[in-house]
Amino acid sequence: MNILIKSATIIDPKSEFHNLTQDILIENGVISKIAKALKNPDNYQEIKLENLHLSQGWFDSSVSFGEPGFEERDTIKNGLKTAASSGFTTVAMNANSNPVIDSNADITFVNAKANNHAVTLLPIGALTTGSKGTDLAEIYDMNTAGAVAFYDYKKPITNPNLMKIALQYASNFDGLVCSFPQENKIAGSGVMNENITSTSLGLKGIPALAEELHVARDLFLLEYTGGKLHIPTISTGTSVNLIREAKKKKLDVTCSVAIHNLYFTDSVLIDFNTHFKVLPPLRTEEDKLALIEGVKDGTIDMVTSDHNPIHIEHKKIEFDHAKYGTIGLESAFGALQSIFTLKKTIDLLTKGKPRFKVETTSINIGNTPNITLFKPDAKYTFSKNDIVSKSKNAIFENEALKGKAYGIIANNKVAINN
Amino acid sequence: MSELSVNHLLGIKYLNKDDIKLIFETADHFKEVINRPIKKVPSLRDITIANLFFENSTRTKLSFELAEKRLSADVINFSSAQSSVKKGETLIDTVNNILSMKVDMVVMRHPNPGAGVFLSKHVGASIVNAGDGAHEHPTQALLDSYSIREKFGEVKGKKVVIVGDILHSRVALSNIFALQLQGAEVMVCGPKTLIPKYINKLGVKVETNLRKALDWCDVANMLRVQNERMDISYFPSTREYTQQFGVNTELLNSLDKEITIMHPGPINRGVEITSDVADSGQSIILDQVQNGVAVRMAVIYLLASKIKQ
Repeated sequence: MNILIKSATIIDPKSEFHNLTQDILIENGVISKIAKALKNPDNYQEIKLENLHLSQGWFDSSVSFGEPGFEERDTIKNGLKTAASSGFTTVAMNANSNPVIDSNADITFVNAKANNHAVTLLPIGALTTGSKGTDLAEIYDMNTAGAVAFYDYKKPITNPNLMKIALQYASNFDGLVCSFPQENKIAGSGVMNENITSTSLGLKGIPALAEELHVARDLFLLEYTGGKLHIPTISTGTSVNLIREAKKKKLDVTCSVAIHNLYFTDSVLIDFNTHFKVLPPLRTEEDKLALIEGVKDGTIDMVTSDHNPIHIEHKKIEFDHAKYGTIGLESAFGALQSIFTLKKTIDLLTKGKPRFKVETTSINIGNTPNITLFKPDAKYTFSKNDIVSKSKNAIFENEALKGKAYGIIANNKVAINN
Repeated sequence: MSELSVNHLLGIKYLNKDDIKLIFETADHFKEVINRPIKKVPSLRDITIANLFFENSTRTKLSFELAEKRLSADVINFSSAQSSVKKGETLIDTVNNILSMKVDMVVMRHPNPGAGVFLSKHVGASIVNAGDGAHEHPTQALLDSYSIREKFGEVKGKKVVIVGDILHSRVALSNIFALQLQGAEVMVCGPKTLIPKYINKLGVKVETNLRKALDWCDVANMLRVQNERMDISYFPSTREYTQQFGVNTELLNSLDKEITIMHPGPINRGVEITSDVADSGQSIILDQVQNGVAVRMAVIYLLASKIKQ
């Protein structure tokens, strides 16, 4: 791979060219020169784009692509295309397929499917067999095959003893256990946040308490067992506080928040629009502000699009019956930049890597490029035209966003949007 | 104002004050009609209405059907306790199939909140919500307010307590919206387990002591406990519920004023209300039923006149 990138502003605090606008020469798959006004040595592919910015490649710790089993939602191939087009060089894919990814063979299947792509796909294995929550899956064996974490996607481990055992067992090989924070008996048959909007819509509410009880339980368990815990997609202010306190106690816990929980509140559901039906549910303004604060002070370690394509037949139905989930890769950067500064946005899109054992490569001479190319000042109303996913269930549809990815350079490949 | 601000009746929350006034004035006329020897007008001879009941109903369905027939509309009925989803057909497909037979208006009861709102966005007919899960039951709230207006002359300034299972009740929610829109004060009363935690944010008073609630109110609207909607016991026994939240003659006589008792039906005699109270002069339960036909005639007539435009 030989490429000359012209006039790109480098946003990478680990690079000696941070905040500078430079030309970057990539020769034989390695960054060979970074300087002003580099000449094209030998008719190399040249990338010259309006207000081009570069950063280390972005990472998303929670995406779902449907395959195997739910190909009507999306496929791994198109999912990776979506990721590349949205600026992500690495994505961790959930095990919520059919069958559930819960064995070495399943992990190997996923790896084979994703092989030879610009985007690196990291499989997450199920924590329990079939994500049924009764018996531990062969997590050591999956770890050997390349699983980066173990998670029953959106399914809480209701048995606290099983969670205790999972944390203890995974610590043998430094495995990362993920626990969806919801106490199902409190959540009941709720379909949105419990508050004034759920009350006035007559929809059953999921109290914030359902999440907070579960977070508190898991933190108590972690304190007892040791090991590594990741709590994906928290949504309430009290959860942020609980995790902040746990970190003060030096517990090895990380957490993420879905970008839409930083952007929307439950008041948008007033029209019964199923695009806003997500889990955890959109919460209150106070929760949203507490989450943003948690992101700013580092209590929340990473943000995720929680990308989850859902076929229209499961969205264009009565609210109670509609499936949870939204796609989010395409809108992630634009939405984040509507909340945070560019610098913070880039930080959020890259800082989750170490927890999921993703190598970080700075933009410096001699390094292999793992780069996202983007235009931070692109302003647009997010529409169906911006969607690459096969399913079109976008929570950000019709929102005014700021910033768009041009594409990525990673795994010795270039993927730039037309 | 001579027409509604809406093309569907999906809930009271989508109406304004003038809509309610117009519906009531129109209902006054129809109430006179249904007390004539010939209880029928030819207004809607060119309108076909489908009553789609995806949930069991007796009185609401009869009341709608009667209202439609007294307006001379053509009426078709479809009842299925099973939701269309369970049968494999989507709600939109079910309704579009019926609409393709040239139906102008759909009256729908459905177990899911928002089903009417959803349908109104995807099919080309005027929708009347006859109850959608625990969301709204707008015609019930309208007939309740109409009955209060009939009894007291106006709704404004009246104090109304809704007693019982507020959590699972579309009647409660629609009544809260309707009464507030007309300037009444609203209180809800029941065991805390059956009152939504955030209902006070809707601007209603919350009281867990029935005696205090009745002392406060002019009208008590007694709701049935909706056991069929409960996945867990919200109180230990019916006996204990009645001890705390049932009205009886002794309790009413101990108040220092005569309050009006309402009930949307069906009544569980001896649970939320004793027989002697239900049948007493303080009760306007049967007036509510009669007013239901007039109010529904008004709603259908007004929506149909918007279709005809």
